[in-house]
Amino acid sequence: MSEWFNDTGMQNDIVISTRVRLARNLKGIPFPHKAGEENCRKVVALVEEALSALNYKFTKVDLSQLTQTQRQALVEERYISLNMAECKRPGAVFISEDKTVSIMVNEEDHLRMQSIFAGYESQKAYDIISKVDSYLAEKLEYAVHPKYGYLTSCLTNAGTGMRTSYMLHLPAIVNAGIAENLFAAAGKLGITVRGMYGEGTKAGGYLFQISNQITMGRSEEEIMTNLSKVAENIIAKERELRTKMHKQKGVVMEDQIMRSLGVLRSARLMQSKELLTLLSNIRLGISLGLITELDSKTLNSLMIETSPAHVTNENITTAMERDIERARIIREKLVKG
Amino acid sequence: MLCSHCNKREANFHYKQVNNGSYTELHLCSDCARELGYLGAGEQSFSPGLEDMLNEFLGLTKQSQTAGKGISCSCCGTTFAEFKKTGLAGCDKCYDVFARDVESVLSRIQPSTTHKGKIAGPKGEQIQRQNEIKELKDKLRMAVMEERYEDAAKLRDSIKKLEENNGGETNV
Repeated sequence: MSEWFNDTGMQNDIVISTRVRLARNLKGIPFPHKAGEENCRKVVALVEEALSALNYKFTKVDLSQLTQTQRQALVEERYISLNMAECKRPGAVFISEDKTVSIMVNEEDHLRMQSIFAGYESQKAYDIISKVDSYLAEKLEYAVHPKYGYLTSCLTNAGTGMRTSYMLHLPAIVNAGIAENLFAAAGKLGITVRGMYGEGTKAGGYLFQISNQITMGRSEEEIMTNLSKVAENIIAKERELRTKMHKQKGVVMEDQIMRSLGVLRSARLMQSKELLTLLSNIRLGISLGLITELDSKTLNSLMIETSPAHVTNENITTAMERDIERARIIREKLVKG
Repeated sequence: MLCSHCNKREANFHYKQVNNGSYTELHLCSDCARELGYLGAGEQSFSPGLEDMLNEFLGLTKQSQTAGKGISCSCCGTTFAEFKKTGLAGCDKCYDVFARDVESVLSRIQPSTTHKGKIAGPKGEQIQRQNEIKELKDKLRMAVMEERYEDAAKLRDSIKKLEENNGGETNV
């Protein structure tokens, strides 16, 4: 298996990816922001030792050895959080050999482990991360409270320590002007929706992250069922509105989609922001059957491989150089693809 | 909900009483509540009084509510002021050191302040089962209070079964 962004997954016309994250801390050691350097190093060593005996192999990435661009590239691939990339404490990320699991050590909690897949795959993601968690629980002593469950730095994560999220592509919902109401309704059910790139309904590329707010008092299964119900309603609504929008706008919409493909195949300069909009149009074109020669896997990998840190190297350092390189990668991929 | 006395204004005064097995529930607007003697003439709303009553009931005087201010965690050094400001616990012990505030924050953001779900590791299963029993006991208490005796009987049987499986562990 390869990286999530080189894969497709279920319901990939709308669901880009699924992530399940568990927060865990070790008993008797202050949480990262209070731990001090020595304790932080100790936690990295403890996790490394615990993982070394596991059949499922992990590679350790020591963040202090990475440049800011290399850290940023890991953020773009979603193996670490922006918080972790900017963190000054000694920390590491362990990435599984099949690239589906990553364990951040000394982010906000001692361990932030996550499993990420393309498409709508919460069960698969949960099963894998839960197995890694159960294994580590035998080797490390977690901070567990008889009443509160897993203890975390921020009280909003305590209990299950679980946050499940889907990245959804919702252009029709936004265009129909119902996004705000829909997201507010989801909020009342304990579900948070926020833009992946930028805030509110103006989120770049119409990409949204929907995740559970509740972490305590409900089991993992109940939390995931509740989230899935809301997500499935949103997905169904998006599908319905896409068809409606296509019927209403007809050739105007088709023109916009096919022009986007033309621009991507020909442009010599491409900024990230413009790319997000164009990719959104192409995704829509694929789901409506207008574009058949591309699939969601190609778009996902394109989205990651053209993000700022990925197109930066010793020869490419300015914004203009990045825009040239980005356009080149796209042309290569789309003209061949 | 409309006031059950005048049937005109919105009810914002809710009164429940359980007395020798009989259960009374009243929903009144502030005007009728005042008229019927449930509210003092000067009080515009019941809530400030309710808060005091609740605090008295919970054994929290104004003094004890602010008593947390001076404390700090002996394990990680997090002070009460720091905890209040950041909302971050400094270590696992902080959850006990700042217990009252932890409970009040959690009850605001979560549907229940008792963990339900997985606890991995050697002691996990036992803790999980104890929490299940505790939750059922809370439900049983509610069922008895609301006189849902059939539900209560079912809950009692489930608790019994779980306790037997838990090696007679009833101390929860």
